Amino acid sequence: MDRGMIALKFAMLRNALPGLRLVGWVLGGLLAAATWAVAVGVQDDGVRRSALTLLLAVWTLGGLVGPVLTSGAGVLRAEYFALLPLTRRQVGSGLLMSVFVSIAAGVVLVALLAVAAHGARGGPAAVAAGVVGAVLAWVLLVVASRLVYGLLGAAMQSKLGIEIAGVQFGVMFAAMFAGWMIVSVAMESVPALLTRGLPDGPVTTVLEALPSSWPVLAADAAAAGDAGRALALLGGLALLDVVLVAAAVPLLVPRSARAARRRGRPRSRGLVAGGGLLPASPTGAVVGKEVRQWRRDPWRALESSTALWTGVVIGVLALLGGYTRPAAAFAGVIVAFVLGLSGCNLYGQDGSAVWQNVVGEDAGSVRADVRGRQWAMVLVFAPRVVLVTVPFLVLSGAWWTVPLVAAAVPAVLGAATGAAVLTSAVGVSPGVDPRRRVGPNDANGNIAVHVWVVILAIVVAVAPTAAAIVYVAPRGGAPLGAALVVLGAVNGGAAAWLLGRVAIGYLDRRMVDVFSRIRYGRVFHEDADAGLLDGIARVTLRGEVRAKELKQEERDKRLARARG
Amino acid sequence: MDDRETTTPAPALELRGLRRTFGDKVAVDDMDLVVPAGSFYGVVGPNGAGKTTALSMAVGLLRPSAGVARVDGVDVWADPVEAKRRLGVLPDGLALPERLTGGELLTYWGRFRRMPRDVVAARSAELLRVLELEEAEQLGTLVGEYSTGMRKKIGLATALLHTPRVLVLDEPYEAVDPVSARVLTRILRRFTAAGGSVVVSSHVMSLVEQLCDRVAIVVRGRVEAAGTLDEVRAGAALEDRFVALVGEPEVREEELAWIAG
Repeated sequence: MDRGMIALKFAMLRNALPGLRLVGWVLGGLLAAATWAVAVGVQDDGVRRSALTLLLAVWTLGGLVGPVLTSGAGVLRAEYFALLPLTRRQVGSGLLMSVFVSIAAGVVLVALLAVAAHGARGGPAAVAAGVVGAVLAWVLLVVASRLVYGLLGAAMQSKLGIEIAGVQFGVMFAAMFAGWMIVSVAMESVPALLTRGLPDGPVTTVLEALPSSWPVLAADAAAAGDAGRALALLGGLALLDVVLVAAAVPLLVPRSARAARRRGRPRSRGLVAGGGLLPASPTGAVVGKEVRQWRRDPWRALESSTALWTGVVIGVLALLGGYTRPAAAFAGVIVAFVLGLSGCNLYGQDGSAVWQNVVGEDAGSVRADVRGRQWAMVLVFAPRVVLVTVPFLVLSGAWWTVPLVAAAVPAVLGAATGAAVLTSAVGVSPGVDPRRRVGPNDANGNIAVHVWVVILAIVVAVAPTAAAIVYVAPRGGAPLGAALVVLGAVNGGAAAWLLGRVAIGYLDRRMVDVFSRIRYGRVFHEDADAGLLDGIARVTLRGEVRAKELKQEERDKRLARARG
Repeated sequence: MDDRETTTPAPALELRGLRRTFGDKVAVDDMDLVVPAGSFYGVVGPNGAGKTTALSMAVGLLRPSAGVARVDGVDVWADPVEAKRRLGVLPDGLALPERLTGGELLTYWGRFRRMPRDVVAARSAELLRVLELEEAEQLGTLVGEYSTGMRKKIGLATALLHTPRVLVLDEPYEAVDPVSARVLTRILRRFTAAGGSVVVSSHVMSLVEQLCDRVAIVVRGRVEAAGTLDEVRAGAALEDRFVALVGEPEVREEELAWIAG
């Protein structure tokens, strides 16, 4: 899913349609133009300085987060070069160099060079300091960007790394869902910023301490004739560059995978011995397997952690927004909603392991599998929903929302599990097969369509509860509230049951086609049906094939570039 | 079962005119193959001959373009539930639920296939012990961390768990160490001795000669020779017969002259 909204808004730039990549460049170009406009157009030195340092900080943030969100950064992998007679250093520096040769890096350089324009008012020394500083900052940004991505790939092996990735994706999602809050705050503050600059205080202090601001400070120092300070700042940047490059080269080429980690104790001893809390039915077996996968598989864990952080970030935004404060009480509902995206490609994420579902087919196996996966999602996500709901409800202080939240949570949770499992069944999007996954975006193929299907399905499925909330919210009262909570629970249960039922009906004769999509990348189904689900299946399959072709092209191109 | 059926049991596996095309490429070309009940059957062929594709269709993992596959007389594609109840399958190179331990995987698989709790537990423990996966289980090693040989063994365990009548194993001995290979062989022989049938695919001729009583040589999607080991060998070594059917590219003296430096 992470790759969901992102696949949609960002990774698509690389993944799906080349035309959309243009959108990315246009956005980058606009931001670069804005940077130049500030550097050239703002008259007041202090205001220009603070606006420019702020923009450079935004560029840095974008550089650090951006590559993580596009699945393309992993296109060129160290292991492709494993057999070439190159040392780790050579491969590492080669990979690092390849990052500089891109249009994105070019746009960043152009934007950073605006510092020279800022320095132009201070004389040639300031311009020189600005140019040198901009180039040094550019190297820093590009290397840091690649380093963060590389670290994240390695971090898929640790709980902390997954959590960090989860926060990044959570911020990204939150920005998309609740972007209007950010936009409205920004809209209110930009005019003030451009006329008065940033107020003195901790923000300015922190901002000026960031290396991204040093080129600006160096240019100012040069303009003021303080050559020592200017050189010190530039020297500091250069030093940071050296340190970062030195760190990045070896880290980009991970040593061959560590030998199987050994833990010193058996797991699930009780279960294996015939016990366990779950019923020993097929459904119970699937629930047990799925809950363990959600807990232990880094890619699944990333999905659930992303859901949690999306809720948290939106909650925080709502709390900060003033009049949006009561909305923070619904942060947990967001977690439940994102669950639908987290689980929208379960079969694709299982990869070729789906053969077990085909070989183990019996009269009720599909039903057991679908229902088991739904229950597992509830078991995994419900605690997270509660964990986010309670503190944000308290912080929002909006106690009148309690019945609304209590109705919305089960409704959305139920609808999300149903939408997720149905979309998983219809739009199988295998990424890298489980044992070969490295980067955070490896578990899914192209799930751009899935995201919209899930969102649409959830919205439609919770419509009764949503309507009732709109009706009850202004009226209040205990009986209405209680009825609302009951409605929410019934709505959620019914949505989960119905959507799951559709998934079961769809998969009943098509489990082998699910496997075919994963194993052979196509379906050998001679009698094509014309239903809605089959339509979605065809669209997602086409997207999958197209994404694969583009990835291959991209890989060939970059390989050619790396060789040349 | 009536008397007639017990005296002439249906073939364990029967492929009739089985065909699979991928675009223009014919992977399996109207293949006919009969594996008599109780036999230990080896399917050999060069890489890319269509062994895996044919066996995938035989066990219900890949829709055939044409033709019929029967297990124990049951059509795999017309009555998949009944056919799959009788089948134990070990595919080659496919993923498993990677984040489970061997024991958890067997427990999941047994319960998923509607076996009683205590039977699953007893058989899982026994299989782990016999296949020497007990230590890994004690250490909590996940299937994803298993070596290739261990994966083959846990895969075989999943194939055996529900007491199938017919085992279809794709490259079961690949990357299995010699000691484990002996264990595997003992298990499979026990299985056939008890009336079960085994079909293995391999491209290691000596192994097939050692294990199997019947063999089929598959070349370019067709069965080029089939029958008892002696019939197919016709007095020569299986490998010679195989090479004669497949055709050996000639390496002339002057070619690759640089190979030793």
